[in-house]
Parts: sequence; C-alpha cells; structure tokens
Amino acid sequence: MKRLLPFLACASFAFLIGCGQSSSTPPPGTAPAGKKLSIALLPKSKGNQYFVTVRKGADKAAAELGVELLFDGPTNTDPAKQNEIVENWITLGVDVIAAACENREGIATALKKAQAKGIKVLTYDSDTMPDARSFFVNQATAQGIGYTLMDTAAKLCGEEGEFAIITATLTAANMNEWRKNIEARLKEKYPKMKLVDTKPCDDQKDKAQQETANLLGAYPDLKCVMAICSPAVPGAAEAVKQAGKAGKVKVLGLGLPNENKAYVKSDVTQAVILWKVEDLGYLTLHAATALAKGDLKPGATSFKAGPLGELKIEGTDILLGQPFVFTKDNIDQFDF
Amino acid sequence: MNTGKPSAFVRARSELVLMIFLVAELIIFSAFGRNFLTADNLSNIVRHSTEIGLLALVMMPVILTGGIDLSVGSLLGLCAVLFGTMVQDAGLPPLVAGGITLLIGGLAGGFNALLITRVRLPALIVTLGTFSLFRGLAEAITKGTATYSKFPESFLALGSATFMGLPVQAWIFIVIAMVVWLLVHRTTFGRSWRAIGFSPEGARYAGLPVERRIAFAHVMAGIVAALAAIILTARVTQARAEAGTGYELLAITAVVLGGTSIFGGTGSVHGTLLGVASIAVLTNGLSRIPSIMGVSRELSGVLTGALLIFALSSGVLMKFLSERRARRQTSRNPSTTSNA
Repeated sequence: MKRLLPFLACASFAFLIGCGQSSSTPPPGTAPAGKKLSIALLPKSKGNQYFVTVRKGADKAAAELGVELLFDGPTNTDPAKQNEIVENWITLGVDVIAAACENREGIATALKKAQAKGIKVLTYDSDTMPDARSFFVNQATAQGIGYTLMDTAAKLCGEEGEFAIITATLTAANMNEWRKNIEARLKEKYPKMKLVDTKPCDDQKDKAQQETANLLGAYPDLKCVMAICSPAVPGAAEAVKQAGKAGKVKVLGLGLPNENKAYVKSDVTQAVILWKVEDLGYLTLHAATALAKGDLKPGATSFKAGPLGELKIEGTDILLGQPFVFTKDNIDQFDF
Repeated sequence: MNTGKPSAFVRARSELVLMIFLVAELIIFSAFGRNFLTADNLSNIVRHSTEIGLLALVMMPVILTGGIDLSVGSLLGLCAVLFGTMVQDAGLPPLVAGGITLLIGGLAGGFNALLITRVRLPALIVTLGTFSLFRGLAEAITKGTATYSKFPESFLALGSATFMGLPVQAWIFIVIAMVVWLLVHRTTFGRSWRAIGFSPEGARYAGLPVERRIAFAHVMAGIVAALAAIILTARVTQARAEAGTGYELLAITAVVLGGTSIFGGTGSVHGTLLGVASIAVLTNGLSRIPSIMGVSRELSGVLTGALLIFALSSGVLMKFLSERRARRQTSRNPSTTSNA
C-alpha cells in the first residue's frame, strides 16, 4: 500500500487534468430561456458595513427583477483575492459581473478576461480601467459632492461668515477635486462667506479633533467647520463639543451616518453628506440586468432604474444623482 | 512491536484519508457544483493554488528536519515588491529582474539559515523575526501605498497563458515538485533531512553535515518563495506589499495535512501534494454549490481545520484501537501471548 501511494497520487492528478480536457465551460449568456439571469456583485470587502448596505439594495432589486444575485468578496487585504473571485465567476458561467475595484489596474486583466468570454462587466463605487468595463455606476461626482457641501454649509450659516475645511491630506487627489468644486461654488454663489483655513488631519480622528480645537482658538468668529474626510467628521464634532460651542459653530461633513449619529442627535453636527448606499446597490443591479438583456447599450444618455426614476449617463458613467444630506430628522432611517 | 513501523503506518494512513477525501470532493463537487468539472475551472484551481503549492513543497523539507519557516509569506511580499520596482522603476527586463529576485530570495533564506545554524536560535524564533522583518521592508519600500502594475504583456503571460494544454505555472510547479520529490525520496539529502528530524544529535554523531543540510532547505525555501512571488505578480498583474499574507500558514497546513510530522523525521512529498490539492479543490468546489456560495471561503476554512484534525488523529485512533484489540486478545488467551 505504502509503495502504491505515490502512483495513486499521480494518477489522481492525471485524472484531474484529464477530466479537464474533455469538457469545457458553456458560453455565458446563451442559457436556455427561462433560466434566471445570474449577476455577480463584488464588494471591496465582504464584512464592511458599507458593502453590506450595498447588498441590501441589490437583494431588493434582485427579488423585484427576478434575477439571481451572487455576492462574494475578500475578507482581508490579500490583493489576489478579488481577481480569484472574478476568475471563478467566469468559469461558473455568470451573465454579468459588477465590481467595486480595490485595485484599479490589478483587477482589469481579470475583468477583460470575463469580457472576452462574453460576460457583461460593469463597475460601481470604485472604477477600474475604462476599457475593462462597459459602464461605471458613479455614486457621486466631484461636482455633486463639492456643491452639496458648500450649499449645505451656506444654508447652516445663513450665507455669511467664516468657515474652515478639514481634509485628509493636502495631496489627496479626490479631496482636492472636491475642494476645487467647493471653492468654485463659493465664488459663484456666496460672496459673504469666507474660507479662512484648510487643515489636513491625515485621515485620523484624533488629529482632526486637535486641528479643529486649534481653528476654534485661532478664529473666534468661525461659524462652520466642514470635514471632507470621514474620520474628521466625528473628530471635528468632538472638538466643538468640548469647546462648549455646540450649535454656535456648525459642523458638517462627508461621512457615514452611523459614525455621526450621536453628534447629529445632540445637535453638535448639523449635516452628514453621503449618497444613499442602499440605492447604489439597487441601481447597480438594475443596470446589470438591463445590460444583460440588451436594454442598456453603450452610447445611452439616460437610464430608467425602477423607482429611482430616469438617471443621467455621462459618457460611460451612470450617475446616482445628487448626494443625500442626513440630518437630525432623517438619520434614524439609515443604518450604515 | 517494532517502533519504526507504526509511524510509517500512521503516515500512510493520513495519505490514504486524503486520497479518499480528494476523490470524494471530486465526486461531490462534480455532482452538485456548478460547472465544476470543466477545463477552465480546473486550470483556475491550478492557477490559484500554484503559489501556496510551491511554498508547501519547500516548507516540507524544512519541517522534515524538525524546523519551520514562518517567513516565506512575507518574503513573497518583499520579493514581489522588489521585482516590481526593478521592472517598473529601474526598467530592467523581467528576465533579469526575475533572476535577481531569485537571488535575493536565496540570500534571505540564507539569512534565516545563518541565524538558525550559526547563532543557534530556534527556527521558530528566527523566522518569526524575519516574518515581520521582510514584510516591514516590503511596506517600507512601497511606503504602504505604492503598487507596481506596469509589466510587459510577455511577462504577464506567465500568469495567464497555457502551454501544451496546461497553465504555464503548472509546468513550473511540476518541475519543482519533481525536483523536491527526488531530493526527499531518492537522494542522501532526503535521508539526512529525515535523520536530522529524528535526532539532530544522532545525525551529527553519524557524521552528517547537519548545519549545511538545514541551510540548504532554508535557501531552497527562499528561492522558491521568490519564484512564487514572480508567478503571483504575473497572475494578479500587480505587485503589492501585502502579497502572500498568511500563505505561510496555508503552506504549513498542507504539509502537515499531507502526513509530515511537525516534529520532523517523517513525511512525504506526495502527501504534501495531496494536501495542497485537497485544500485547493475544497475551496474552489464550495464556491460553486449554489446554496453556500456566499459563505464558501469561511466554510472551507472550517472544513480544512476539521480535516486536518481528523486526518492526523485517525492514524493515532487506528493505532489505539488495534492496540486495545491486541490487549483484549492477550487477556482472553493468556497462554498465547504475542501472536497479535
């Protein structure tokens, strides 16, 4: 028996390889009529509350549209995992893959491989290289974010007075894009408001709190603190609260409702801005289904996604619309 | 009873358990998995398990000597980053950069070996140190954020092309597997690794070059970890500092599952191969059964753990049962003592 084992081991490998040669993957999209469309949704990471919420919306859409939803993603930061999952989906024979890409370039090869096999590919939340997908479901444009932040701040301050910005770093590309739009809106619509300072917090809550405390000391007339990276929103709120200026100095920012609920309810933070994450999942599934059925074609300029209504398509970006402002009145309806 | 026999028996038993398990997996997944037994999927399985398989192959001789190498996963990350920066920033052709990367891998393995054999620190401590050291270096080079993804198409073929019907990396894997198999089972290297695992002092008194043999196993582990880094980079088309995180433990699992004693002295390369194949097929197959697709990776972790414990304890259990039977027979027939 002992002597036989190496040969048995070899034989089983040969079997594995041999079986492989005889059959091949059926081409996707050619499923017999009546078979459900199968749509695979890839999050950046599976346990992240943000993507759990995306899934909730996707589940709802899948049930309404009568399609099968496969939701799977990495549980850690292993950069190879997203690619492996996509490659597995290719051989599984799914009809559409919708991916939130952790690595813009890294995953492009796997997605192109899927396209070559006739699988429709779109991205949501974070895009890949444009030639590796048909559409990108864009949750918010830089202009949408910048303008909404500025408009909300102006409303809170009565359109006059000093305000300051807390950002992650002064070099972060996306945040600089937002700042450019904030400043453009400021110049265009609010002549009585003044941006007095912009401080980086290195994406850390502690540092944001400290910088906000410094700002409150340096500018006694400050009316509003705008935090544009998510850890800075509760950080700024804590500083304002500790300085005893809750309500006098308004706080708003870009962040997750759950992280800010306590401050919003105690009126330290007046507004949290983000898109409706559940809608992002809902829209992605609608777009994926339309893409598979041929209802959504390259070159389209608008897309109707059920109750979300008629949405704009810019180039290959399907726009979810203006960001949503979470306030004391509505924040309890959301859990992410 | 002869003391050599039960351990050989126990080892063969865990290989047999694995063999049965692997066949069962293939049958079950073919029946219930969606598109499991297809050429594309089987080459997926091979592609996705090559790196861990390579690490397991070279981990096996290290464990056979009674040692361990916890640093191979981190070394994989370091080598991937070094290879990336050599190709992208220094503009070296991938072949040259690959050669240098293998050399660096060998040197890193040699560094482990130096501390283990000359400074005489335990392998567990040394490689736990280099586990952090190598990963830390990789993160320092990329400052935690840089990634490398500008590789020529000809190089990326290593990760995605096929040659004579098999994925390119499968051929590399087969060659390395044959080399390691021959070393362990057909040369004096293998015999001395086993002897060292049984008793390092005994091996030394027998005149074996214990230090050199241990060093050889670690250098080989380093070189192959570098090779795995290059293959992974080609497959993922990107080199990052986190590459290979946790791979060392998966490799050790495959080796131990394949019947190699964690204390050294016994084990086989084909057992290790069976271990690698069982885990790879399990992970892939579970992700194709519709009802459990979403939790397949978690489930495969649970089942791998259960299998490991079962495969290792089944041998001990069988031995225990047969001894008890023998004892019972002797107590029933006190006149005939040792015919069991």
